[in-house]
Amino acid sequence: MKTFAALRAIPTLLKIGFSEAVAYRAEMLVWVFATTMPLIMMMLWTTVAEASPVVGQGGKQWGSGAFVAYFLSVFIVRQLISAWAAWEINFEVRQGMLSMRLLRPMHPVLSFAMSNLAYMPMRAVVTLPVFAILLVTELSRMTAQWQVWLLWPLALIGGWLITFFANVAIGSLSFFIDSSIKIMDVWLAAFFVFSGYLFPLELFPEWLRIAAQWLPFRYQIGLPVELMTGQLTVEAALPLLARQYTWAGLMVVASLLLWRSGIKRFQAFGG
Amino acid sequence: MTRYLRLLGLQLRTSALLAAQYRFDFFVDAAISLFWTATAVVPLFVVYGEETRPGIPGWSFGEALVVTACFILLQGVLDGAINPGLQAVIDHIRKGTLDFVLLKPADAQFLVSTSRFMLWRVFSLVTSGIVFGIAFHQIGHGPSVLGVLTALVLFAVATLLLYSLWILIISAAFIVVKVDNLTYLFSSIFDAARWPSSVFRGAVKFFFTFVIPLAVMTTFPAEALLGRLAPMTLVSSIGGAFVFAAVARRIWLRSIGHYTSAGG
Amino acid sequence: MIRLSGLRKHYRVHKRPPGLKAALKSLFKREYEIVKAVDGIDFSISPGERVGFLGPNGAGKTTTLKMASGLLHPTSGEVTVDGHTPQKRENEFLKKIMLVMGQKQQLMWDLPPADTYELNRAIYDVPRADFTKRLKELTELLELGELVTKPTRQLSLGERMKCELAGALIHGPKVLFLDEPTIGLDVSMQVAMRDFIRRYNEEHGATLILTSHYMDDVAALCPRVIVIDKGALSFDGKLEDLVTQVRPEKRLTLRFSAPVSREQVAELGTIVKHEPAQAVLLVKQSAMNAAVAKALATLPVQDLNVENPPLEEVMSELFSRSRAAREVA
Repeated sequence: MKTFAALRAIPTLLKIGFSEAVAYRAEMLVWVFATTMPLIMMMLWTTVAEASPVVGQGGKQWGSGAFVAYFLSVFIVRQLISAWAAWEINFEVRQGMLSMRLLRPMHPVLSFAMSNLAYMPMRAVVTLPVFAILLVTELSRMTAQWQVWLLWPLALIGGWLITFFANVAIGSLSFFIDSSIKIMDVWLAAFFVFSGYLFPLELFPEWLRIAAQWLPFRYQIGLPVELMTGQLTVEAALPLLARQYTWAGLMVVASLLLWRSGIKRFQAFGG
Repeated sequence: MTRYLRLLGLQLRTSALLAAQYRFDFFVDAAISLFWTATAVVPLFVVYGEETRPGIPGWSFGEALVVTACFILLQGVLDGAINPGLQAVIDHIRKGTLDFVLLKPADAQFLVSTSRFMLWRVFSLVTSGIVFGIAFHQIGHGPSVLGVLTALVLFAVATLLLYSLWILIISAAFIVVKVDNLTYLFSSIFDAARWPSSVFRGAVKFFFTFVIPLAVMTTFPAEALLGRLAPMTLVSSIGGAFVFAAVARRIWLRSIGHYTSAGG
Repeated sequence: MIRLSGLRKHYRVHKRPPGLKAALKSLFKREYEIVKAVDGIDFSISPGERVGFLGPNGAGKTTTLKMASGLLHPTSGEVTVDGHTPQKRENEFLKKIMLVMGQKQQLMWDLPPADTYELNRAIYDVPRADFTKRLKELTELLELGELVTKPTRQLSLGERMKCELAGALIHGPKVLFLDEPTIGLDVSMQVAMRDFIRRYNEEHGATLILTSHYMDDVAALCPRVIVIDKGALSFDGKLEDLVTQVRPEKRLTLRFSAPVSREQVAELGTIVKHEPAQAVLLVKQSAMNAAVAKALATLPVQDLNVENPPLEEVMSELFSRSRAAREVA
């Protein structure tokens, strides 16, 4: 009964969240423009590959075109899996605004999730031109298997779940320490290196590649991008998707536990 | 002048007090510094990872590492001295309390730009020192005295440029309503400075040399340390930076004039 | 409806002495002290009552309200609100209450209030028909009109507060905690808010606890007042009784048709002000009738006025007394 009421509220939450996204469209555009890293990496790698293609661990030859396809895909995926609840939670805890949220008969994490998700339609619109460029210039480098394209949304959802719940977990640390945002910086630093954001993981030395397999980051960016750019077959992708959703599940559990003990502390010390 | 120096001293003291209160931050900042150093260096290891990889044209691994070290150093300046002040101004604008700053009998630009420092970020001096060490070890010989002196001059130029860019962004903040994320935009563009500027071609190269002169900030000091900076480049960098700063100051004064408080 | 027994809230806070040296020292060793924000409070409130909650700054008013609304856990003691234990934060409980804080807002800054209302409708699971009816009623009572369709940031403080209040009532709470709801508002807006709050209480039978810096709010709204000080209850009863207790005297103003000497007036009570043609006196409540009779009989009285001392004065006297007591202790 309780969950049913919460589910019924979701469409309205998304609708209002979308109105908010529209009100903050200029701000969102700044965020999108700030995602320059994949484009800079694209320039770097195409310059490097100019003289001769870069050879990856698997023996694949990475020419300029392959890098363009890869990094434009990274840009698109980054837009679609992003979440920023850690900053919101930190801000509301420090300003004492979380009290207003706690007074409402709805799990605050759910309302954060909906307000983050409500930005997705606008973000998707922003990625459309990039998608168009990608399809016009590098169509031959994108996967031609329709089954892989079916898996792609699943991988995006999995990637978003990991991002969002990692945000909630780190945001919940604001209940305990003043500087949870700095923890977020550390998380982001690791994310940049191990997610495939700065370079295709295939170019990693062997031992770093193995480390990346076991960390959550590559399932945020790397997996969906590798699916798009035809580096993975369905057979190869399924076990990776399984790992991705395992990570997502772990993040959900960890973040909700942290959130709960954080709220207890908040109620003990006040906001 | 001495009054402003005294004010600066006071503001630094306040920041030191704040820094001491958040002791946990010291360790976190040190860890972050190391982490960011790693993220700055790891891509180089990937680019130059194997003998067969060509790397960045015109730059050996050690030379590219010198650019990275310059980048880490300037990032410390940016995060420690420039971004916190920017954040403070943005907070002021949002809360409508900038009026209080403008009412004070001292130069507003000076007051806002010295209002907050993150002193723990000096740790990036250490990490950049380490990277410099590794880089010159790779190259096989240290920089010349002249090279070091030129590089120091260029670092001062780079700081002036960063500061002027910062002033321009704040001026924009008076016009745009929601500006919370401008610091983020600023740092993310600055990220491009971790690579030698020869990576960029055409319009992008022009943009990073003249519009947002990232090349001047990291590539030129690195070239000075490597002893291959053309004297003409040094002179025009200094000249350009002063023009940039003067323009920024003009724009700042104009936007202060247009500023209407968010309160009421 | 609301019942507090032996309610306590103690905090352990880190002492941060001023100065760089001390700050550096606190890097390594921290000193703590216990702050007793609320230290044993008992009272109970029946359904439909309007209660004013008074106390000097830092007396523990907001802490108590936060405990009653489930935002804070008590250190010890108990609160129940309509049979619920607030700290469990059950949805059933949250749907029955609302806490309005004058200094914090729930309206979304860059969207019109109507959007926040719609959001609250969904979150509180209010049936559409009830929502429409209640919103219409609130719009009329608070004279919201076009305000609800303008972005919140474009509203004045008073307009925002009205919209805020409407948003807090959209789910028809049975218990309303109002923490400084009129802070920063101009006098006419304060009066409008007061009228609205009283009408809401009368029409819906909602229970209401109000804290305010403006004694007029309390005087106009709350037949019963509870005073807390230093985290403990120091008065619970009718407002008039509080006034009598703090200031047993009333104020007697006499205007004379012919000059009257100071000595003649002094027999009636304590002189506050004396001019040949006018005198202001403080007279014990019990002695007032006799004093008035005597004045009329013996003095050339042209005009006479008996009034209670202004509430603000009563309160500042009450609070300054408690401060003095604290300083002695």
